[in-house]
Amino acid sequence: MLFEPFSDVVPSFFGWLNQGPLTLTIFLHTLIILPMFWIYYDEKKKLKK
Amino acid sequence: MANENKSVWTSISFWRRSAAWVTGFSAILLIWLTFDSVNQIAMGSDADLQKAVAQKREINRVPAPTVINYHIDYKMDEKRGHEVPVIGEKEPFFGKEWSPQEAAALLHLGKLTSQAKNCMNCHTLLGNGAYYAPDLTKAWLDKAWRKGGPLQAMTGKSTREEAMAEFLQHPSQYPTHARMMPNLGITAEEAKGLVAFLKHMSSIDTNGFPRNFSKTVEQFKTGGTNAH
Amino acid sequence: MLTSIKTNQFQGSESKKLAMMYFRVALILFGAQLLMGLIAAIQFIYPSFLFEVFDFSVARMVHINALVVWMLYAMIGSVYFMLPDETGVETVGIGLGKLAFWVLTAAVAVVVLVYIFIQVGPGKESTIWLINEGREYLEAPRWADYGIVVAVLIFYYNVFATYMKGRKTGIVTVLVADLMALAGLYLAGMFFTDNISMDQYFWWWVIHLWVEATWEVFVGAVAAYALIKIIDAKREIVEMWLWIEVLMLFGSGILGLGHHYFWIGTPEYWWEIGALFSSLEPVPLVAMFVHVLYDWGKEQGIAKAAGKPASIVKNGPAMAWIVLNAFGNFLGAGIWGFFHTLPQVNIYTHGTQFTAAHGHLAFFGAYATILIGMMYLGIQEAYGLKQLKATFKSKMAIFLIAFGVMGMTIALTIAGYEQVLIERAELGGGWNSYFVGQSMPWYVQAQIWRTIMGVITFIGFIYLVWDMLTIGKEQASAAADAQPAAA
Repeated sequence: MLFEPFSDVVPSFFGWLNQGPLTLTIFLHTLIILPMFWIYYDEKKKLKK
Repeated sequence: MANENKSVWTSISFWRRSAAWVTGFSAILLIWLTFDSVNQIAMGSDADLQKAVAQKREINRVPAPTVINYHIDYKMDEKRGHEVPVIGEKEPFFGKEWSPQEAAALLHLGKLTSQAKNCMNCHTLLGNGAYYAPDLTKAWLDKAWRKGGPLQAMTGKSTREEAMAEFLQHPSQYPTHARMMPNLGITAEEAKGLVAFLKHMSSIDTNGFPRNFSKTVEQFKTGGTNAH
Repeated sequence: MLTSIKTNQFQGSESKKLAMMYFRVALILFGAQLLMGLIAAIQFIYPSFLFEVFDFSVARMVHINALVVWMLYAMIGSVYFMLPDETGVETVGIGLGKLAFWVLTAAVAVVVLVYIFIQVGPGKESTIWLINEGREYLEAPRWADYGIVVAVLIFYYNVFATYMKGRKTGIVTVLVADLMALAGLYLAGMFFTDNISMDQYFWWWVIHLWVEATWEVFVGAVAAYALIKIIDAKREIVEMWLWIEVLMLFGSGILGLGHHYFWIGTPEYWWEIGALFSSLEPVPLVAMFVHVLYDWGKEQGIAKAAGKPASIVKNGPAMAWIVLNAFGNFLGAGIWGFFHTLPQVNIYTHGTQFTAAHGHLAFFGAYATILIGMMYLGIQEAYGLKQLKATFKSKMAIFLIAFGVMGMTIALTIAGYEQVLIERAELGGGWNSYFVGQSMPWYVQAQIWRTIMGVITFIGFIYLVWDMLTIGKEQASAAADAQPAAA
């Protein structure tokens, strides 16, 4: 069963994201890591100057 | 050495900026999650509780103090895959029904007493504390305190709450193991409060902790198979 | 170390003198912690020992409170010790700092005496204000909470003012930010609520965000300083690593808080958040270990290539304790923590001897080790020694303490297995199930081994104190004897 039925007692935004295997945690990790790519390329640009 | 600073991976400013971003954003996420969670674990109202009982479903993860007026059970929930507290019919608590104000005052006394007597440095509450004495998360539901159960029988009382209150006031008179609970000078009122606190705690939705709560010890002691 | 207060040669650094005052109290409280631990361990085997006189709850409360307080003392001491070196200026507000030291120490003494002699009170607000708050680790009564807040504010003001006045190195920058979070988090533990779920939610804000986030970053900053001081590690390298550590420690540690929110009434979504983020917590600990060994090897290699075959380590015992920290942090906090951080495992192990095993090795490996290392750095400077060599006593201390704590951890892990499998998995964790588990012969055996290992740790502690009291004096007079001969 890939997507599990919503089972939290109180419906909420995070509960809604938490409906499949690791969906919520992958979402949060992505949010944290994506901007680091921007920081990386920005630093690279600075170093090249 | 001229190439040393060409790589972003060895640049201090890259790591400093990344550290600041990750720390700041994680902290913001935690605060956001906290608003959501605090909202979910806030104590419900008596009206919510009545609605939950009438509709036979959970509305609050932490019910109102008046939950002490109801029968509480701990049952397997097929959908969630673990046991959940089930609030059932009304039942008297110390022989009466407690109004919302009385119930709140009693729970307040109980919670305060649980801290004043330092329960947490022997027992665990919701699994947190010391490991010298049994976990109290679902102690109210323990089969041993039921009518006919060994702990209730030991105190000579006829209800669960009276038996627990009696034990709390004179713990070293009722040893259940070489390791005994010391006499902490708990008064009759404080004992009532503590039992209310325990009953309320057992109604909290703990996502199935402790699992398979309190199977019978007899079954374990006889050993072999379950065919008896 | 005790005499070093009078005879120290800190060349006028009052900040370092104040650091030694903090270290001294920390060492005494460390001893108190071990004694209380021994009493509690004996009570596991002989429950009638001091029953209704000095109960387990009291011994355990003083055990864990002495632990937290000695570590905070040693941490404050470490900061006062580092500040003049890092910022290049004398710490601001030392007079106030000394006043705060005496006020804090008097408050700690009163709190401990009340814990020991009054123990518990009636179920009233006055009890949590005056006797104890009854919340594990945060038992300090409310009046003492406010005292702690005031003392910490003074400390933080001194650190911040010194930072603004002096050189702003990466290490101090991390420290200043980290200490602000560390001090601020204490406030999350200063309220009363009837709702036990809410109570524990914010209780973990203090406990977890201290030991699995801000304290770890603190250790990173102290280790960075110590590596520069002991083996002349390059500042650019050390500070780059420090920022990587901050990134990874806070990145995993802040939301790793979720692993305490599996079963306290909080919603199910914490299962995923807690499991995944906290599983990453060991990663920076591996990085810290690699970094320490790498730097040591590299600096020694450079020295060797330059034709200096002697050890580059300027403080043998401090370096030994810091290497032990790098390894112990990874093993105790990382491995033993990961053992039971997933909800699938934790539903059975939560609140068992497993947690105790992890707690012992993690607090020792991650914090006790490096703080002891800092004390040795203090002794070296107090006696103005160019090099401090490990003595037989230093070696006995580190060996016996490390062996004892590891032994306790293994014994408690075995006890934990028994408890988890029998009480929890087999029987479901009720009152009688608990005592069936506690009576199993292998469980009892493990508790006996834990006590034996506790005694070994305590013998190691005696060596440690003995060494700290003598090592500086002995090596200072040896150096003084050697000098005229050379001249």
